[in-house]
Amino acid sequence: MDGRIVVGTFRDGGGENGMSELVRLTDVTKVYQGGLTGALNGISVSIEKGEFTAIMGPSGSGKSTMLNLVAGLDRPTSGTIAVGGTDLGKLGEAGLARFRRDHIGFVFQFFYLLPNLTALENILIPAQLMGNVATARAAELLDQLGITDVADRYPARLSGGQQQRVAVARALINNPMLLLADEPTGALDTHTGEQVMELLAGLHRQGQTILLVTHDAKLATRHAARVISVMDGKIVDDARLESPERAPSDVIRVRTEEVSR
Amino acid sequence: MSLKYGVLGLLKGEPLHGYEVKNRFEAMLGGTWDVNIGQIYTTLQRLERDGLVRPAGPRGDRGKQLYELSPEGQKALDQWLAQPDSGPQQLHEDIYVKLLLAARIANGDLQGMLARQKRAYLQRLRDLNRLEERARRDGRLDLARLVRGALLHTEADLKWMDELSSERFGTEGAKTE
Ligand SMILES: Nc1ncnc2c1ncn2[C@@H]1O[C@H](COP(=O)(O)OP(=O)(O)OP(=O)(O)O)[C@@H](O)[C@H]1O
Ligand SMILES: [Mg+2]
Repeated sequence: MDGRIVVGTFRDGGGENGMSELVRLTDVTKVYQGGLTGALNGISVSIEKGEFTAIMGPSGSGKSTMLNLVAGLDRPTSGTIAVGGTDLGKLGEAGLARFRRDHIGFVFQFFYLLPNLTALENILIPAQLMGNVATARAAELLDQLGITDVADRYPARLSGGQQQRVAVARALINNPMLLLADEPTGALDTHTGEQVMELLAGLHRQGQTILLVTHDAKLATRHAARVISVMDGKIVDDARLESPERAPSDVIRVRTEEVSR
Repeated sequence: MSLKYGVLGLLKGEPLHGYEVKNRFEAMLGGTWDVNIGQIYTTLQRLERDGLVRPAGPRGDRGKQLYELSPEGQKALDQWLAQPDSGPQQLHEDIYVKLLLAARIANGDLQGMLARQKRAYLQRLRDLNRLEERARRDGRLDLARLVRGALLHTEADLKWMDELSSERFGTEGAKTE
């Protein structure tokens, strides 16, 4: 049906609504070659299916490293990472590449579109790598992301916001079980950044699990109910935020000065 | 916010009763201000005493009194509007005083305190975001913009806590003890 790809072995056994674990990091460390200190120093965390989680922390704290490891773009120095029940450490290089292609969507700060392919062609790459003709799915995504009319343009002729939409569509073409976004709004102005975030929020409402790295606490808390704070390669806080309907006066109060005398 | 000039500003357009003044404020600021009707009446009385407002017509039923701006009130309002909001920044930084005091007794480790405060700010950001969303959905743009300002202020508070925790605030105090 419309080019959708069934995620065979990775569909987990849990119900569609009930919380079930999608990602688990256990005592993960990462020391880069030549790195004086570890980029990650013992990270253990579990991400539920359907969660929208934000990762925040100062520059160099290890956020991108964490995302890259979860994506299978790199391997940890020690510890284990399981995504959708698969222990990434047990996969060989080819297996890891296949895992990435089939199950992970990744959106970066600087889009990384191929300049000599049109928007549509860029979006279709991951599907073609799977040997799938996903034109129907691509059309659906173009429409959903509001970029149908620029589908045949080359990246150089797209605005930053449009390029990021194309990158999001490319990340979603294979219906990944996990969408990773590393500062997706970092290169965009406030308004365009908010639009891209709205888009991610819409995907989340449809059930997409999202792990987002951002420096913008306003945007993070708007959409993500969970904020993980990282510092020096460690998780220093894991906040699950509440979302009750509060009366305006319980959220904000304008103080008044009375006339004295 | 100065209640005095707020009231003068609302009377600029048309004469109002005390409770109408309160309602106008609520329409603009959506119950985010903590002024009761008693304070409005007191303010109106003082403004009348100072000649900045005056009764418009006789008292109506149940003693309701319409007030209008006097020429002096008009002048005072214009002056206030023309003045930028300057002077010292008004802070009420309980948390900073808490941290300073704790630094003297908590063996220099304030990370827990900072983390708890950061979490409280994150929750506040979430609440403000939801309020802004609701205000926009209900077409209450004045309220939405006020909330936006509060979001930016809270973001700054959060960044401050981040700075304090990354410079290991508090540890230097412990060394000199
Ligand atoms: N390929 C690499 N080789 C060596 N060191 C690296 C490499 N990538 C990252 N590092 C180091 O690892 C640490 C964590 O980097 P990482 O990119 O994960 O941080 P970050 O939290 O994403 O920062 P930013 O907010 O600036 O993107 C840093 O000290 C960085 O210099
Ligand atoms: Mg990074």
